[in-house]
Parts: sequence; C-alpha cells; structure tokens
Amino acid sequence: MLFRQAGILHTNYAQDRALFPIPADRWMIGGLLLLAAAAPFYMSTLYLSSYMLPWLVWTAAALGLNLILGWAGQFHLGYAAVMGIGAYAAVHAQRNGVPWEIAIVLAGLTAAVIGSVFAFAALRVKGLYLALSTLALQFVMDWTISHVPAISGGTQATLQAPDIRILGQAVTSDAGLYYVALVWCVLVTTFMLNLRRTALGRALVAVREKDYAAAVIGVNSFYFKLVAFATSSFIAGVGGAILIGTFYHAVTPEQFSVDVSIQALAMVIVGGLGSIIGSYFGAGFILLMPGVMNAFISWLTTQFGFSLGIETLAHLPHALYGALIIGFLLIEPLGLGKIYGNIRDYLLVWPFGYVKK
Amino acid sequence: MKLRSIIGGLALMLTSSMAAHAADPVKFALCYDLSKAYTFVTPQVAQAAKDYADILNAKGGLEGHPIEVIVQDHGNEPQRGIECYERLKREGVMVFDMLSTPVSRAVLPRVMKDGNILMQSLAGRGDAVDGDVFKWVFPIGPTYWGQAANDVGYIKQQSKGSLKGVKIAFVYVDYPFGQEPIGIMKTLAQKEGFDLQLFPYPLPGNDQASAWTQVRRFNPDWIISWSLSNMHVIASREMKRNGISLEKYIGVNWFNEVDIKNIGADAAKGMKRGTNVAGGSTQPLVQEIIKELYDKGKGNGDRKHLEDVYYNTGLAIWSIGFEGARLAIKKDGWPLTPQKLKDGLESIKGFDANGLMAPVTVTASDHGGGGKTRIEMWDGAKWVPQTDWIASFPEEVWSVVKEQSAAYAKSDANK
Repeated sequence: MLFRQAGILHTNYAQDRALFPIPADRWMIGGLLLLAAAAPFYMSTLYLSSYMLPWLVWTAAALGLNLILGWAGQFHLGYAAVMGIGAYAAVHAQRNGVPWEIAIVLAGLTAAVIGSVFAFAALRVKGLYLALSTLALQFVMDWTISHVPAISGGTQATLQAPDIRILGQAVTSDAGLYYVALVWCVLVTTFMLNLRRTALGRALVAVREKDYAAAVIGVNSFYFKLVAFATSSFIAGVGGAILIGTFYHAVTPEQFSVDVSIQALAMVIVGGLGSIIGSYFGAGFILLMPGVMNAFISWLTTQFGFSLGIETLAHLPHALYGALIIGFLLIEPLGLGKIYGNIRDYLLVWPFGYVKK
Repeated sequence: MKLRSIIGGLALMLTSSMAAHAADPVKFALCYDLSKAYTFVTPQVAQAAKDYADILNAKGGLEGHPIEVIVQDHGNEPQRGIECYERLKREGVMVFDMLSTPVSRAVLPRVMKDGNILMQSLAGRGDAVDGDVFKWVFPIGPTYWGQAANDVGYIKQQSKGSLKGVKIAFVYVDYPFGQEPIGIMKTLAQKEGFDLQLFPYPLPGNDQASAWTQVRRFNPDWIISWSLSNMHVIASREMKRNGISLEKYIGVNWFNEVDIKNIGADAAKGMKRGTNVAGGSTQPLVQEIIKELYDKGKGNGDRKHLEDVYYNTGLAIWSIGFEGARLAIKKDGWPLTPQKLKDGLESIKGFDANGLMAPVTVTASDHGGGGKTRIEMWDGAKWVPQTDWIASFPEEVWSVVKEQSAAYAKSDANK
C-alpha cells in the first residue's frame, strides 16, 4: 500500500535503471533530505553538533569501508589508519597555507596512494591473511605517527587543526559544520548508489563472489581490487580530514587507533555488508547507542529510585549494547540494513502477504 | 488572558529567583572512563569526589551552595567525551574533568573556545600548566616533566649533591605517556653530568623481558620507571629475574596498593614511587570521611578503596576544585561564571587539604600549583616518605613547558 507498485510501467531503459523506481522511495528520500537540510532550524545545537554531525561523518566513512568490504569483498582492519593519513595530510597542508578545498583533496590522494601501496603487498594474499596485512598497516601507521614528531607535532602528539575555510570564509558555527558533513555524506552516498549500476561496481561484485570466476569472464581481479582499495582509501582520507575539521578540531593518534578500526568494521557488519542504508544504521548504532544506553539506564535509575554503583552504572550499558548487537545479528545475520529490507519487502505487497515477493 | 499570563510569568520568575537563592547547586562534571583503559583509577577518584562533596554539603556546601557531582562514562572514546562535555555544558556545568589523555586532548580545543574550566590533573597536555597560554586549563599537580625532575632531585640528594658519574636507567612504556619525560631527562643528564640510558618496552607492557636484560647489562645505580599499574608488577618480576635490587626502583605516581599486593607486600619492600599526595587512610581528611560516611554506611563506594592512593589522588584533585569554587563565590558572589571560577582557582594559596597533599599555590601563570612531589618507599606494610615535598630544577622544567606551549600558541594563532 505504502510502496504502491501498480501502474509503474517502464517504457525506456533510463526509467528501468533509475535509482529508485518506486515513487514511495523517492518521496521518502526527498523528505529525509529536506529534514536533514532543515535540521539546524528545529534541532538543538547539542543534537546537531554531538549526534547528527559525527553520525553523518562516520556514515560516509562506513560507506567507504563498505565499498572495500561489502562490494569488493576484501577485509580491511586498518581503515582508521587510512582515515588518519588523510587527517594528518589535510592538517599539515592547511597549516602550510593550502586552502581547505585543496587540502581535503590532497588528504584523499595521500590516503589513496599510501592505502594502495599497502594494497599491492596485501593483495597477494587473501582472506584472513589479508586481514592481518591490513592490521599491520594500522600498526605501522600508529608507530610512524607516534615516533615522527614532524607528523604528530612533538611530544604532546596533538596538532591543532586550522578552521575550515570555504572560499576564504571560515566555517565555525554548528550549523555550518553540520552542512559540511551533510554535503560530504550525501556526495559519498550518491557515489555509492550509482556504483551499483556501473561496470566498476559489477566488476567488484564479480571479484567478491569469486576472483577466479571473475578472471575467467575477463575481469582483471588484481586491477579491480587495487581500484577498490584506492577508492575506499580516498573516501577514508577525505572522511578523516572532515572528521577533524568539523568535529575534533585537533588531531591526535588515538583518534585513529586500532579500536577505531574495529569500530568502523563493526559499523559495516552490524549495518550490513554491501548495504547503503545499512551503513547509516550501523554507524548510528555503533556510534550513538553507547551514549543512548547510558542515558537510558541513568534515567531508569532515577525513575525507579534505585541507586547503582558508579562502576555498575558504567558497565551495564556496555553489556546491554553487546546483547543488542548479538540479538540483531541473530535475528538477521545480514545486518540492520537487511532488517529494513525485510520490512520494506513485507510492506511492498501488504496486505497481500501471500504474493510472491 | 493577558493578565493571567503576566501573573503566571511573574509567579514563575518569583519562584525561580527564590530557588536560586535557596539552593542553586555548583555542578562539577566528571566525564570519566569507567569502563575501558583508565578503570584502574577512575572509580576511586569519582568515589572520593562524591564522598568529599557529601562532607562539604553536610557542612552547608560552598558558601551555602550545595555541590553536585555528575559522573558519566565516556569509555576513553574522544567522541563520547565530547558528547559528555557538550551535553553538560548546556546544563550549566562550568568545571570539567576527563581524566584521560586522549579525551582531554580532544576536548581542549572546545574548552579553550568556549571558555570553560578543564581540570586535567595528571592527564592530557603537560604544557597546559602555562596559564598564560592555556587560560582555561588547570592541570593542578605535577607534570610528568616536573615529576621526573623531582625524581632526579631525590637521586641527587641521595648521591650527596653530585650526580657526576651516577648511572640512571629510564625505563618506559613506548607511547606518548612514557616518552614524555625523555626530553627533560636528557637535558638534566647534560646539565648534571649523570649517565642516562633509555629502555623502552612496547604496549601493553606485559612483556618487558628484553628491556630488563639490557638494564642488567647497563647496571644502573637508579631506575626511573614510567609505567602504569600492572606494568610495575611485571617490572618487579623482571628485576628479580635479572638480579636487580628493587630498592633502585622509582615509579611514577601511577603505582598503588593493588600493585603492591600483586607483587606481594613483603617482596615489594624497598620499592619507591613519586607522588603528590600522601597515601593511606591515616590522613585527617580521610579519617573524617570514614567517621562521617563509612562508619554510618553512607559511603559512595567500596570501603576498601580508602586504602588506595588513587582515592587520595581523587580527594586532592577535587578538594582543589571545590576550594577554587568556594573562593570564587566568596570573592565575586553568585551566580558563578567561568571567569569567576578561574579567578577563584588562581587565588588558591598554600592549600594542602589538611596535609593530604603537597601544598598547592595556583597563580595566573602557573596553573600547575607548584608541581611538588615527594618520594615514598614501601617498607613492607606502609609507604614511608623519603623526602619533603620538593620541586627540583624548576627552570629546566619551565623551559620545556614554555617551549611546548609556545608551539601551541603559535599553531592556535595560525588558525
């Protein structure tokens, strides 16, 4: 009923290959975009700057990881390190007088180059071995940053990031920073949506399913793996630069440590491999749920008037959060994106549940 | 209709202003890592803050205003620390403590921009003691540079005033926390003419074997160790294995009674630590807390934490914080602003919380409060002070601080 399909007839190829053939999807996306664009007008600055903004930046980053993990099927345990390369590149470029618009492109390119150099070595191995090689990238980056003062900025290992300047105009307000993140996230999402229907996207999927089989049908798997690494590293690099510019305002090695890599991986897996809406859900879940759980439990304690120790109060949300992840993955191993897909499939034919989907 | 709304508005104003006079609390935010890396210290510190707040509130609070301590977990994740800061800042909190180096670093740009107070004793940037540059940051207590210098000062006392030819090993965990004192150690080695060698070991510090066999070959007179909690336990085991006397060992302040218990109270005899607070529960302030709260079953946590030096560390941090706020209200009156709080903290003079810690004098340019520490030795049952509260080589320490803070000031101006 909601997604009424009756009367949708494609009379040319362009229509048939549209991103959203069903009008309801288009309406929803349009509505969400409007809501997102108007967020600074109805949302408190707290929600805007501490929840929406990091969520959007991390969603874009998760999409980049999803490209390599979900589309090309290559493990990547050093994703945060690649983001870090971009972040440091952008901050150093800006401090040397490069305009921000060019600095973030430089950040992406630096990350793409270093990420691909590692990919060359890593792509000779597969599966778990690849996972370990990318983990090595993470540790090499950690070590390099903390042992080369020219990169990290001395013993304090903190570099203050210059303000974002767009066409010479400093962006410092919460709303302005939010729009930077929103535009970036929309750009990456659009790219990923379109990737699905390009030759590159199909080649990546072929490589993911079986690289020998892909080679047999004439897809150069090594080349496409390399392209996947470079593209995802580019997105990661720009994402890292934007994360620093809009949210942290200072860059330190811990912001891109191995824990963060694991978190990014969790975003993609909980959200759903190869699912775009899943990346939104996954990033939101992994990033915001601990805080929400925290607030929920402290609300419960005040509401029902029982007092918990400081430590119990801190650990309980983690336990619940872990249980939620396990629960979701038990219900639907393909992640939150697939749960959404199931609901949508159900509504597509509702109320005629017996119709074959 | 109009009349009614005016009356309503007046009534609202009246009640709110009355409430303000009666019991507007002074809020302090403890955004701590209670679930990940810093759990060896945060529960004790938070417990101490709550206990001391209860004691002061029972006596009428800070010049009539009760203290409200807000504790929230950030799991050592910068983005959650920022969330905690952003949320509580909007709820009227003006004093924050993150007690985590990564999170303090992440919050610092916001604190400096907004003009709120960041207490960051023993965590975060050491050069923030330079109050001329870091106007809003109060890392009261020693910096790691100051602590290392004080350790060297103690060794100098022990070597009858001359360090010529003395061999000092600096053993540290190889990440920014451990690397921080290297610069000052090298400077002092050059100035005082002692023989310094560095022995890093990798995170997470469970394997220090290679570092300690090298230490044995070096055969130092003293060992200064920058390690965290259990790393001291591993170090003591490696020292035994390599036949190095434990009496040469001087640990950083992150070395507590739990670690001693894990080494074994008898086996640990002779080990030393630098500290800016007196350990143990015999201090008058701790005794008062025991009498008023724990004996009546009103404590804010486990009683066994009272024996832990980190509890005293927490008391030290927050007695200073509360004292600063009290002075602020006394001097400039209610309602508080960050500027008033800053002035209050900067007017703390010779405050030692009844002998609990090294006397602290905060000024507008020294936000560290003097950076005094002392060396204590474990005698098998308790910590015995080996020195007075000392601050050695202040010029060298401040030159490191100034160098670093100048670099920050430069990068901040470049924005």
